[in-house]
Amino acid sequence: MFLVVIALLPLVLVSCISGGTQSARGWAGTTVHEGIIYVGTADGRVVAINSSTENLEWSYSIAPVTAPSSGLSCGQTSAQTAIYGTPVVDRDIVYIGTYSGQVYALSIADGEDIWVYPRTGSIGAIVGSPVIANETIYISSSDGKVYALATTNGKREWETDSPLADKLWTSPTIVSDTLYVSTFDGHIYALSLETGVLDWSFESQAGFASSPVIYEDIIYVGSFDNKLYAIRIGDSEPLWEFSGGKWFWAAPVVGNGTLYAGCLDGRVYAIETKTGEKLWEFDAGSSVVCSPVLMDNLLIVADESGTVYVFDLSAELGDEAVPLKAISIGADVKSSFCAHDGLAYIRGEDNWIYVVDIDKGELSWKVSLTIEE
Amino acid sequence: MIEVWNLIIGNPVLNVLIALSHLLSGNFGLAIIALTIIVRLISWPLTKRQLNSSRALQDMQPKMQELQKKYGKNKQKLQEEMTKLYKEAGVNPLGCLWPMLVQFPIWIALYQAIMRALATTPENLLDLANRLYSWDIVNQAIPLSSKFLWLDLGQPDPYFILAIIVGGTMWIQQKMTQAPTVDPRQQSTSRMMLLMMPLMFGFLTLMFPSGLALYWAVSNIIGIITQYFFTGGWGYLKFRSPSQST
Repeated sequence: MFLVVIALLPLVLVSCISGGTQSARGWAGTTVHEGIIYVGTADGRVVAINSSTENLEWSYSIAPVTAPSSGLSCGQTSAQTAIYGTPVVDRDIVYIGTYSGQVYALSIADGEDIWVYPRTGSIGAIVGSPVIANETIYISSSDGKVYALATTNGKREWETDSPLADKLWTSPTIVSDTLYVSTFDGHIYALSLETGVLDWSFESQAGFASSPVIYEDIIYVGSFDNKLYAIRIGDSEPLWEFSGGKWFWAAPVVGNGTLYAGCLDGRVYAIETKTGEKLWEFDAGSSVVCSPVLMDNLLIVADESGTVYVFDLSAELGDEAVPLKAISIGADVKSSFCAHDGLAYIRGEDNWIYVVDIDKGELSWKVSLTIEE
Repeated sequence: MIEVWNLIIGNPVLNVLIALSHLLSGNFGLAIIALTIIVRLISWPLTKRQLNSSRALQDMQPKMQELQKKYGKNKQKLQEEMTKLYKEAGVNPLGCLWPMLVQFPIWIALYQAIMRALATTPENLLDLANRLYSWDIVNQAIPLSSKFLWLDLGQPDPYFILAIIVGGTMWIQQKMTQAPTVDPRQQSTSRMMLLMMPLMFGFLTLMFPSGLALYWAVSNIIGIITQYFFTGGWGYLKFRSPSQST
């Protein structure tokens, strides 16, 4: 009996202490609008930081929603205030979806909530970022549905009739009057922006890991079978497939007819959009979790270990595949980031914002998002 | 230490489980059942030893009753004679614990594999990428569905059905293999074990993901079937204890 109890102890400890799993902490991305940085923090707040003064303008705390637990499970009832998506600013409002399953519309002036959908309860954890078109905000949820809400008052305009998948963790993409969303079970759905009715769908053998990116009627999307797919809208077979070493987790970006994709194998691939032919690759040495960013003729890539690489796509100063600069911020990076006016705004996993001066190739300033006791 | 554990046990169990899931039409519950059968096949030599011990104990019952009659009042002598009898028959009464102890690392690895494979948070899903082998069969199976019958395999069973099945099957399996004893002190220990183990595992079923409890339930059922055919019946499940027979 004692032998059994002693032997079971590690099992109980493993489950209660780490369980071999990580809790939802979030990796919210940054948005900059009129000199103000908007970002979600690790402790479940949305903050606005003035990029000139480096001061906190306002902070809004997401209401915690306790995750339902079943049985007598230990360690499964944490408050789900994590934020994964990137805030979106439209006119005077910043919009964000939360892991607690609510969409928040906050005033950019003072951070007061203008509306919350749903006001009580949850539509399921939101991991992707919202997109806005025609005064409507579109967001995908872990309940497998896409929701369309009026930007002015948060009133639901439509939601998909039934779940499109077990859960939707990717962000939708909008082109003209159609919304495209990729699913973990290997589908791409094209929905009418106005009604949410299904226009077209594509089915693949492997699930799609990344959000779709659309350029000249071709969808580019990364999948769990370590491939990047190019799918012409309306077709049932992919135009081409490109194999990497691991998942293409982050959505690629397109510039000047070239697709730039970061891969969890630690490489950045430049691929010809029409043929899928590899133009060059660069080994960053650490997984690339977040999407690359284009700024003028520069490609900015941040790898998970916190090194920011800058590539000159015009290749005026040499080989395009060799980074002009490599800047270490000293913190892991998983969050999407943005770049404006020669500065890249990156949220580190240590809950700091790092502002990198791309021209100078150095860290310009940084600010902690953690509230000091 | 953790890296060694993941390299030798954690990641192999995870990848095999995911590969089995792909082979079984993406059904993670069936993959756990298949893995249980594989583990039972691998541990068959130990199980066989345990069953042989169990059968030998069953055969020893008349001799044990004789010793009880002869040395019933001298506990020390009875114990000495019993130990001698066990030694002569080459039986270790605690031998039945070894197959269970050997399975503990598998349980821990399976628990971790279930939680990692089902990736309930985005962090877990991202972490999974670093643990997968570059097998197509594994990568094509991701992400997995946690639904199986009425269960969410990443969560404990909210209806307690699995707890009853795990506890019940464990009681039956123990009852089939637990030899009646003549020593009153051992009798009370045996009775406690017979109740405590199913109760403890029933309780653990309420704490752990139902995927792990599914493993326990299927493993118990396989144990019962094996025991039934190996010993040719229900064993001590219908055996009257010596105290009842006197």
